[in-house]
Amino acid sequence: MIYLQIAANGLVLGGLYACISVGFSLVWGVLNVINILHGTFIVLGSYVAYFGYAHAGIHPFFSIVIAGLVLYALGYVLQAGIINRVVTAPVLITLTLTFGLDLVLNNAMLVAFTADYRAVTLANPLGSIEIGPVFLPGDRVAAMALALLLTVLLYRLLRDSSIGRAIVAVRMDREAATLMGVDVKHINAVTFAIGAFMAGAAGALLSIIFPISPLNSQVFLGKAFVVCVLGGLGSVPGAMVGGLVLGIIESFGSYWFGPEHAVTLSFGLLLVLLFVRPSGLLGRRGYE
Amino acid sequence: MLTTKLSCRIASVVVAIGVASVVAGGPAFAQDVIKVGAPLPLTGAVSPEGLKQKRGYDIWAEAANAKGGIKAGGKTYRVEIVYTDYASNTPRAVQSAERMITEDKVQFLFAPFGSGATKAASAISEKYGIPMLAPSASSAEIFNQNFKFIFSTLTGNETVSVPIAKLVTAKNKDIKRVAILARNDLFPLAVAQEFEKAVKAQGLEVVTSERYAIGTMDHSAAITQMRAARPDWVYASGYINDLMLIRRQMNDLGLKAQVITLIAGPAYQEFAKTVGPLAENITTMSWWHPAVRYKGKDIFGSTEAFNAAWEKKYGGEADYIEAGSAACGAILQMAIEAAGSVEPAKVRDAIAAIDAETFYGRVKFAPGGQINSLQPPVLQLVGGKPVVLWPDAIKSGELRFLPK
Repeated sequence: MIYLQIAANGLVLGGLYACISVGFSLVWGVLNVINILHGTFIVLGSYVAYFGYAHAGIHPFFSIVIAGLVLYALGYVLQAGIINRVVTAPVLITLTLTFGLDLVLNNAMLVAFTADYRAVTLANPLGSIEIGPVFLPGDRVAAMALALLLTVLLYRLLRDSSIGRAIVAVRMDREAATLMGVDVKHINAVTFAIGAFMAGAAGALLSIIFPISPLNSQVFLGKAFVVCVLGGLGSVPGAMVGGLVLGIIESFGSYWFGPEHAVTLSFGLLLVLLFVRPSGLLGRRGYE
Repeated sequence: MLTTKLSCRIASVVVAIGVASVVAGGPAFAQDVIKVGAPLPLTGAVSPEGLKQKRGYDIWAEAANAKGGIKAGGKTYRVEIVYTDYASNTPRAVQSAERMITEDKVQFLFAPFGSGATKAASAISEKYGIPMLAPSASSAEIFNQNFKFIFSTLTGNETVSVPIAKLVTAKNKDIKRVAILARNDLFPLAVAQEFEKAVKAQGLEVVTSERYAIGTMDHSAAITQMRAARPDWVYASGYINDLMLIRRQMNDLGLKAQVITLIAGPAYQEFAKTVGPLAENITTMSWWHPAVRYKGKDIFGSTEAFNAAWEKKYGGEADYIEAGSAACGAILQMAIEAAGSVEPAKVRDAIAAIDAETFYGRVKFAPGGQINSLQPPVLQLVGGKPVVLWPDAIKSGELRFLPK
């Protein structure tokens, strides 16, 4: 019976991991930019939700849109103004650039908000849902459901809208897309901004679950890395599958081998996967 | 004409000599300053803790200078603290400490943050014979080196484990099964191991004892396992962010126990503020707390006076690191005054010989340099505020149990 609870824990956690990672995966897959800013974007989204709740009583679930839009604007400006200048350079250059930008933004947040941990304490939490022997934490499940919904919406956006098709076209072949009349610079900026939107939205959702501090950005970034490589770069379903797989592995790993080995186990499996299937579970060759 | 030129020259020579004598008098003037070096992690991973130490040192230096400075051997000395940022990088803390002694000519040191960096820097203070006071180091490995120049204001980890084990077992015989979850990190792990020993010595059964990795984002598997073991007492160690997450997830996953003890975090104000109603009746330990009441012969005079000075300067309450840092300064000042000298070796002997009441508690050091006179209080959060359960002399409430 305890296995049901462990599986439920893993799925809920996995849904959150998917939400953390999907924006990171999109930017990496399409722009070939490893966006070190991603973790800081998530934390910034959490702060938007925190201040929205503390000062205006806006439930973090509604702050998804506000946090997403704030980050969308920031992401667009950063990509159009700075990153686009070197976006075709080798990946190490863009990585170094986003690393530098991350230092600036993260330290600015440390100055503005301090490193003290804050948390959104909901006046009316959803409590726990008991299904037989399994406890499901209401707020986490709701956050996970919203995260998955956002991910599905992003998937539809990429498939059904003209801007989405343009993003996919740039991912497949940048030059051919240019020849077909796609404004690649604009698409780059929109893609980066959508990645930032997803990070901001994820941050708003996570604000009710994790303590908020600029120091958390590295933890989020680390998870996003693993999920992307597990699931395959640039693929929305890949990020979802990668997130869920990582959540389940960590959950059962903690139970069987002790919580201190959960991370070792997930990174061990990651290494194995890199040997066996370097493009990830759902990744396709040629996209990376 | 010539005489005017000559007198001009004489005048300029006189001025030059005057200036030179003032400059040469510089060192004599500088003698009236006590320089204390404080390498701190002002940026990087442990910067919040580094800033806490800085606040503590600053409030002491300000208080000492406001009262005209420190008197020793018929002279009055102004306090100057020399800071460097070692960016949370321990090797750099050691280099900073050495440079402060050789280049900045500091006479005393305040230690960097934590047991690890303090131990590393203690080799430098020992080499140069400079007394170093540490406000955030409690691990035994520092004090069994037989060093003469390191002193710490935190007692050993057993002193924050044994009292609560005795208190809980004395108050409730139904508490038998204990579940422990520890952060796999120097201090949290050491303190959890001491706690495990302490509860076993009281005849309790440890039903699970797990460790979690630094940076863990989810404790559901460990909590599920603990719930299956049906504990009466849940104990978790870590830092404030870990403990906030653990407490919330315990609630989410239906893990209940009559006693929930979390260390070290609930003693900070942010904990009750952020965890809300879930903080109620959580027990914890701390080396010091603003709720304690001591009268002292140090510069602050009493805990209440220290709290008031803190409130005035920074707003809010000091935690044990902040108070301990201020105590390092107060102890150094008492030792300099007792020695009647600023000579490091004499001051070192005076610190080693100290046995005095302070706002921080009674101060007396064991031969290895660790304070052994403090009784760290056992606390419980009631209505979002900490209540002192032990020691009896400063007790402000009785232990409450959570519903089964």
